[in-house]
Amino acid sequence: MERENKAPDAAGDSAVSTRVHARPPIWRNISVIKWVAQLAALVAVLALFWLLGSEAAKNFSASGISFGWDWLSDPFGVNIREGIDVNPDSGARALVVGAVNTLRVAISGIFAATILGTVVGVARLSRNWIVNRLATVYIEIIRNIPLLVQIFFWSALTIGLSDLVEDDVGTHLFKASNKGFGLAWLFPSTGFWPWLLIVIVGLVAAKFVAAWRTRLMEETGKEAYSLTYAFGTVALFGLVGWFIHPILGFLSGVWDAIGDFIGGLPSSTVSVVIAAAGLLGAAWWIRQFFESRRTPAGFGKMTDDDIFRIVFAGLVGLGVALVGFALGGASIETPGGDVLTVAELIRNGFSNGFHWFADKFTGDSGGPISFSQANVEVRGAGFTQFGTDGIIITPPFFAVWVGVTLYTAAFIAEIVRGGILAVSKGQTEAAQAVGLKRSQYLRLIILPQAFRIILPPMGNQYLNLAKNTSLGLAVAFADIVAVGFTAINQTGQSLPVVLVWMAFFVTMSLIISGIVNYYNRKLKLVER
Amino acid sequence: MIKRLMLLLAVLALVAAACGGTSDTEETTTTAATDDGTTETTAGSTDDGGGDAGQGSEGGTLATVQARGKLICGVSGSAVAFSETQSDGSATGFDADYCRAVAAAVLGDANAVEFRALTAAERFEALKNNEIDVLIRNTTWTQSRDTDIGMDFAPTTFYDGQQVMGRRDKGFTEDSTLADVDGAILCTNAGTTTEKNITEGAALSGATITLETVETFPEAMEKFIAGTCDLTTTDGSGLVGNKATQDTNDEWVIFPRAPISKEPLGPVYRQNDSQWGDIINWTVYATIIADENDVTSANASQDDERPEISRLFGGEGELQTKMGLEADAFFQVITQVGNYDEIFSRNLNPVGLFREGTFNAPFNEGGMIFAPPAR
Repeated sequence: MERENKAPDAAGDSAVSTRVHARPPIWRNISVIKWVAQLAALVAVLALFWLLGSEAAKNFSASGISFGWDWLSDPFGVNIREGIDVNPDSGARALVVGAVNTLRVAISGIFAATILGTVVGVARLSRNWIVNRLATVYIEIIRNIPLLVQIFFWSALTIGLSDLVEDDVGTHLFKASNKGFGLAWLFPSTGFWPWLLIVIVGLVAAKFVAAWRTRLMEETGKEAYSLTYAFGTVALFGLVGWFIHPILGFLSGVWDAIGDFIGGLPSSTVSVVIAAAGLLGAAWWIRQFFESRRTPAGFGKMTDDDIFRIVFAGLVGLGVALVGFALGGASIETPGGDVLTVAELIRNGFSNGFHWFADKFTGDSGGPISFSQANVEVRGAGFTQFGTDGIIITPPFFAVWVGVTLYTAAFIAEIVRGGILAVSKGQTEAAQAVGLKRSQYLRLIILPQAFRIILPPMGNQYLNLAKNTSLGLAVAFADIVAVGFTAINQTGQSLPVVLVWMAFFVTMSLIISGIVNYYNRKLKLVER
Repeated sequence: MIKRLMLLLAVLALVAAACGGTSDTEETTTTAATDDGTTETTAGSTDDGGGDAGQGSEGGTLATVQARGKLICGVSGSAVAFSETQSDGSATGFDADYCRAVAAAVLGDANAVEFRALTAAERFEALKNNEIDVLIRNTTWTQSRDTDIGMDFAPTTFYDGQQVMGRRDKGFTEDSTLADVDGAILCTNAGTTTEKNITEGAALSGATITLETVETFPEAMEKFIAGTCDLTTTDGSGLVGNKATQDTNDEWVIFPRAPISKEPLGPVYRQNDSQWGDIINWTVYATIIADENDVTSANASQDDERPEISRLFGGEGELQTKMGLEADAFFQVITQVGNYDEIFSRNLNPVGLFREGTFNAPFNEGGMIFAPPAR
């Protein structure tokens, strides 16, 4: 340590010890320059944003446009077509309803497009001429027509259906009308949560069963059907759980006790936990870093760069701890009018969560899942409408959902096809040479490798789908964009609403790509 | 290594201090600039903006329009009888005629108008961003619009009120009330006061409704005709217009009799441009004054003996030139476009909207169409 600091005249020492090298002065140290440049760039960017923001604020005030966030808590005053709350009491609540509607389309669309796209992609490689041609025609038609036009098409198609009339009153497995589509659906019932717990236990058990069967196969060399056994295990747990789930009713008391315990903690606990998490996170990161650098030479080889990183992580951790403490003490007025600190809100949230969970473990034997048919009823002053049973897909939702799903599925199909074709032909030949059946080498050799190629472009398609849902505005789908436009018109606050939109879509996109990247990392070939 | 760490922390502290220092100075300059801006806006009339982006500076819009030789007027383009876009890009209707009236006053030529069709949701942004000079797009005058979003309202040209349109075969009559819409799906277009009115109105009368908000009113009509929406709602004038053109067998009915809201419609211009505002206001008043005195496009004459008409037509005094217009500006308005009654009758009578017995009758016949005296 001491030796390293004798920078300018270190050249003389090198003859004595090869471990010591000449240290440049601090203003020529490449690590220092790099980090200072990074920090300077960060400061410059922040300053630029700050400058732009203050300029905009200045211009707004000069032209008499007020800029504020009061509208988030002010009454919204406009009904929303569909969603978790059709009569939101504040602007923020309305945006939440719109955001949930966007997520409904995006998430269900991603699942549907993945399944459909995979099927079509595989069909394009089919040796059956008709299946192959059908898939090609589907892809060529769908991906060559603008999405907006397709959404308009589906909207016009729904509007063209016949109206609900008095004769339709009653229950239906499926009912199409210009008021939307009603279909029968399965819903969680009173026993759902205890049953789900049993199924989760079954999933864990299935993992062990699969490992056991795989080991058996490796030992004996015979097919041991590990996948079938795993599915069988889950099915067994599900089936048994279906009948015995009421016995888990005693857990209700356990959840309540946990909820009471958390509710009784002093609110400072939350601040302490947040602060501790920040510090532990930093400490963990630094530890990881050291471990990855633990070479035979020890810590002596750490460069200046590494020290900067460690200090930076430490500072961030400290910042998180301080912010956690400060935030915990800040008080907020709840909609109910009570003034609570953030720490108390978080604590109560956890406590309420456990109490909510406790309510779900009533020991009621109502079965885990109930089947509910769509119903048509006469409402209010004699209007024939869908009731609340089953699933009701409104015409705008249908148009957007079908539009983005079919459109994205066409691209996913091409990605799937490309991924399968990209696996080297030699893999197939080698698999055939060792005597694997077609189904076996597809499942065990080709698809795992294809999946690795497919995943990254798939992530892009998911992002496209999620963002394309905003086209729903054109067919009156009450997503976050449409609700935001209503908010703009009621309040005139266009910039704040646009900022909310951008924040929402950036967050959603980052989460989606985060999930895809996580799987991508897990699947990636380990390179050494 | 310890020494180096210390040095590093010192550097970080320096950077942080420098950063803090920068923002401090920035803050002071910004405050100063804002102060300047405010003074400029309030002092206004003497200074001509001093190159401050032209926003809110006096005489800005008038000078711009005169230099351009053309008025850019924001209209709906799809509001039956108020502004309907024609194949050549121009527009016809009540609102469109007021665009022409402003052009006649400012440029002496009623045809020097470029119409810009805007959706309800786009209109205020277009005005604020200087894309249009004046917005005449059946816009309701409300307190929040007047105060919040940087614009001012001209006198009301059409007193309207929101109503609902339903089908006779569903049991609706002219005497139906909002309580009768319970359980219905209602369609209206986005970005209007109608969304809020119907939500509040239905809640007050105890009706539960599902509100579907579409982009433009023609879409709402399309969904109403198809039956996707049981009812449609907007300003009474819009409903009458659509019923007149699309309901030949009188199957539809407009209710309730007393509109559920007050919708005073009129031109809108940018805030803090009082010269331009005066021009719009007095163009509207000129058409009303001419109507009060039975001066029409056919009989208007600059030799009119009546003092008020003489002043209005530039025969006496400098009222118009003080506003930055030609002395005969309003004479051009009346001869080229017509008085209030002519504009109203020409556009709105064919769709079944009449002045008699409504708020749009002259003030001396029980209505609310009234102009301050021209003197």
